[in-house]
Amino acid sequence: MPDLSSLWLTLRLALVTTFVLLLIGTPLAWWLAQTRSRFKPVIEALIALPLVLPPTVLGFYLLIAMSPNAPFGGFWLQATGDTLSFSFTGLVIGSVIYSFPFMIQPLQAAFEGPVQQAMRTAASLRASRWDSFFTIAVPMSVRGFVTAIVLSFAHTLGEFGVVLMVGGNIPDRTRVASIEIYENVETLNYADAHALSLILLIISFLTLFCVFLFNRRFPAHVRL
Amino acid sequence: MSDSSLIISISHSFDEFDLNVNETVPLEGVTALFGPSGSGKTSVLNAIAGFARPTSGDIRFGSTCWFSDTKKVWIPPHRRSVGTVFQDAQLFPHLTVRGNLDYADRRAGSEKTGYRYTQIVSAMALEPLLDRHPHTLSGGEKQRVAIARTLLTRPSLLLLDEPLSALDNARKGELLPFLETLKSEFALPTIYVSHDVDEVSRIADRVIMMEEGQAVAAGQTDELLSRYGLEAGRNPYEETSTLSGTVDRIEHDLLAVKVGLATLWLAADVQLETGTPVRLSIAARDVSIALGKPSGISIQNMIAATVRGVEPTKRPAFQAVTLDVDRQILRARVTRKAVNDLALETGHKVYALIKSATFHP
Repeated sequence: MPDLSSLWLTLRLALVTTFVLLLIGTPLAWWLAQTRSRFKPVIEALIALPLVLPPTVLGFYLLIAMSPNAPFGGFWLQATGDTLSFSFTGLVIGSVIYSFPFMIQPLQAAFEGPVQQAMRTAASLRASRWDSFFTIAVPMSVRGFVTAIVLSFAHTLGEFGVVLMVGGNIPDRTRVASIEIYENVETLNYADAHALSLILLIISFLTLFCVFLFNRRFPAHVRL
Repeated sequence: MSDSSLIISISHSFDEFDLNVNETVPLEGVTALFGPSGSGKTSVLNAIAGFARPTSGDIRFGSTCWFSDTKKVWIPPHRRSVGTVFQDAQLFPHLTVRGNLDYADRRAGSEKTGYRYTQIVSAMALEPLLDRHPHTLSGGEKQRVAIARTLLTRPSLLLLDEPLSALDNARKGELLPFLETLKSEFALPTIYVSHDVDEVSRIADRVIMMEEGQAVAAGQTDELLSRYGLEAGRNPYEETSTLSGTVDRIEHDLLAVKVGLATLWLAADVQLETGTPVRLSIAARDVSIALGKPSGISIQNMIAATVRGVEPTKRPAFQAVTLDVDRQILRARVTRKAVNDLALETGHKVYALIKSATFHP
């Protein structure tokens, strides 16, 4: 039987990462959906970078930035008394950056076009910006939110390169399931590698299956 | 006077044209903003509703200032007591008809005086539709819900942005009586944007004519429409005309097409045999008129023609001239000033200068 602590760590990382992404991603996606700023393409390209960049490249830069000798890493050490690299917080920061496009892009697509028009209509019906955001934009974008949350969660579950670079392989602290599988294979412990891989496969499949089921069941009138 | 009127005095620069409007609209009855598409009608409406901020000017609703660039005043749309009905209804898709109506009713707040919910619902005959979802409604039904929803915000001014333009003729006929009910039963000051003579003559008390960002004329509906010869049901001009001809020869990569006795030279991206019959589409705006045959001009295509008639168009600055080219009709759109300067009248012999023509499919 494999050590399941790495699995719990992975789930915890994916949940925290998704939650942080939702908090940061919603306002940013909203801004992108309505801005006419000339910086928009630059920001969009930066957000999409993790889609094409090798995770090791991203992980390498993050490792350097988080080192206690770097300004950011040093500041963190002073402020919290803990190093960022090889810590759970470091993993969360790395995962947030790595899964950024998976949160932003579905949300941005959901917020564009009809939702922006509906916001203007809501304003003509005396609704303030905050009021209409929660009563019109969010309900009209439910599918976008579900897609963004699930993709971010599933993508974080499966990450390997960034975690390995930033977090290393410390049991209970930074050893996530994908790294444990890698180590099991390295040490020819195929049985545990099989078990963990199968669990990850099933979790990933069930997560995605739920989205598609949701999309199918959801009333057609909100389909955008 | 200013307490019962809407003062619009705004300028705004767009890529295509500059908007410049200075009008005082009395806050009673229906005022139509009338003009061709792209003339700036909707831009004026957006400025009044608060969806777009003009570069400069003032908008005052009675004694309330909604916008003033000099006094740095800008009231956001949800704080203006104005209701807008959009071209395409814009019902919220995740709410039922009742949900859409309640959304507006709940936000009317302390202004919830005047008309009761049930009165508005019954005026638009919505009782049977209340539990339906917007995607199950016809275009006309959606528009009735949109009108009721806007009335439920208890606005002091109603803006209707071409509410019939997304509907086919049959649906238009269904909705028009509701617009008349709206006018007679609720007596709200209304600004009605339209490019349709029929609608304007049926609904509006007065008209502001817009053209290329300017308000070019204003007055009582009947008086203004008849001044420009715009009776209801009349389509004053056709935008393009079609000429038949035959391919004569090909020279200098140009196709010579014989139309009657004249020859038109056209760039051809199609291979056509000599003698092939062809039809040419010519936009009225691409046809100019000269009294004699001009020389020293880059336009190669000139055809002798006889003036058959001069008629007003929907745009006051332009007139439609119908020409006879070897017993075929060619239409030209020229300015009213040009018609006067050339003293064009039926029967005159002229030359039609054709700037471009396309092969009719």
